[in-house]
Amino acid sequence: MKEVKDTMKEVLTAVAPVTALALLIQLTIAKTPPAVIGQFVAGAIFVLVGLFLFLLGVNIGLLPIGRTIGAELPSKGSIYFFFIVSLLLGVAVTIADPDVMVLANQVAAVSEAAIGRSLLILTVAVGMGFFVAVAMLRIVLGVPIQYLFAGGYALLMLLSLFAPADFIPISFDSGAVATGPLIVPFVMSLGLGTASVLQGRSPLQDGFGLMGLAALGPVLAVMLLGVIYS
Amino acid sequence: MSIFAGIGQTSLEVLQALLPLVIILLLTPRFVELPEGFMQKTIKGLLLTFVGLTLLLHGINVGFNPASQLIGEILGGRDNRWIAIPIGALVGFVVAIAEPGLRVQGAQVEEASSGAIKQNVLVYTVSIAVGLAVGIGMARIVFGIPFTYIAFPGYILLIILLRFTEPTFSAIAFDSGAVVTGPMVVTIILSLAVGVATTTPGRNPIVDGFGMTAFVALAPIMAVMLLGQIYKNKD
Repeated sequence: MKEVKDTMKEVLTAVAPVTALALLIQLTIAKTPPAVIGQFVAGAIFVLVGLFLFLLGVNIGLLPIGRTIGAELPSKGSIYFFFIVSLLLGVAVTIADPDVMVLANQVAAVSEAAIGRSLLILTVAVGMGFFVAVAMLRIVLGVPIQYLFAGGYALLMLLSLFAPADFIPISFDSGAVATGPLIVPFVMSLGLGTASVLQGRSPLQDGFGLMGLAALGPVLAVMLLGVIYS
Repeated sequence: MSIFAGIGQTSLEVLQALLPLVIILLLTPRFVELPEGFMQKTIKGLLLTFVGLTLLLHGINVGFNPASQLIGEILGGRDNRWIAIPIGALVGFVVAIAEPGLRVQGAQVEEASSGAIKQNVLVYTVSIAVGLAVGIGMARIVFGIPFTYIAFPGYILLIILLRFTEPTFSAIAFDSGAVVTGPMVVTIILSLAVGVATTTPGRNPIVDGFGMTAFVALAPIMAVMLLGQIYKNKD
C-alpha cells in the first residue's frame, strides 16, 4: 500500500506543476482555442493515471526481476553469455520505453515519415543494448569510467562530422530520451545487482555512471543510421 | 473529436513494444532460480505496465503533444518571438524542480560528499541549469544558431571538466543528466521547440526543432561537476 501512495505522490509532483504552467501559458500568452485546452486537460488526466499505473507496474513487477537477473548473471556461464543477455535486455527495455516512442512519433510526424517510427526505435534500441552490455562489462572488468566517457564523447563528435545535418540534433535527442522511465530504473537495478555480487566493487561507485555511458549508444547508432541513409 | 479516438491503435503499439521484454522475462526462470511467487508478481507488473503505458501515450498523443506544439507555433509566429526564450526557461526550471528523481539524486550527492553539498543545493543548481539550457535551446531556434555550435563547446568543456572531477562525482553527474530528461521534457519541451521552429521564418523543424533534450541532458551534468569542484576546493 505504501508503494501505491508513494507512486501517486511521485506522479502528482512530477506532472501537476508543469501541467498547470502549460495551462496558464495557454490561457494568457499563447491563447490556444478552447477545444485545444479541453484536449490538453483530458490528456493530462490520461497522463496522470497512465504514468501512475506504469510506474507501479515497473516497481512491483519489473525492477525486482531486473535486480535478480543482475545478481545472478555474473555467476552464470561465460562472459559472452553475460554480454549477450545484457544486450538483449537493453534492447527489450528500450523498445518498451515511452520516451523513445514519443520521440519516434514526433520525428516521424515532423519528417513526414522520411525517418520511420519503427526504424528509429530499433536503431535507438540496438545502440542502447550494445552500450548497456559494454557498461555492464565495464563493471565486471573494472575499467575506469572516465576513459570510456571521454572516448565515447570524442568518438561522437568525430562521427558527427560525417553525419548529415538533419540527423545530428535527432541523434543527440535519441541519447537523451533513451534515459526514459523504464530504461533508467531497469538498467540501474541490473547494474547494481551485478556490482553488489562482485568482490571489490562498490555498488555506489560502479553502479553509477551506467546510464550516462549507456546513453551514448543511441546517439552513435542514430548517427551511423544517418551516414548510411545519406 | 472524441478524446478516446486512436486509443486502440496506441494499445496495439504498446503491445508490440512490450513483446520482446515479455518474452525475455518469461524465459528467465529457465536460467535463473526465482523465489516462490516471483513470476506472478512480474506478470501482474507487466499487465499494469501495459495499461499504464497505453493511457500515458494516449494522453500525450491527444493532449500534451498537440497543445505544446500549438503553443510553440503561436509563440514562433509572433513578432516578439524572443518571448519563447524566457517561457522555455521557466518551463524547463519547473520540469526539473518537480522531478522526484532529482531529489533522490540530491540525497545521493549529499551522501557522496559527506554532507558538504546539501540536497537542496543540488536540486536548485540542476533546476536552474535546466532552465538555462531550455532558454539557450529556444534562443538557438529563434536566432538560427546551428546545433553543433552550442553542443560541441559544451561537450569539449565536459571532457575537460571530467579530468578534474572525482570519479564518484562524474558518475553521479552523468546519471543526473538521465534523471531530468523524463517524459515531461520529451512531451512538453520538445513539442514546444518543434512548434517554435515550425513558425519561425527560415527554420526547418527537423534541423532546428530537435536537439532540445540533448541540451537538457547536458546541463545537469555540468552543474553537478562544477558543484564537485566547489566541494573539492572546500575540502
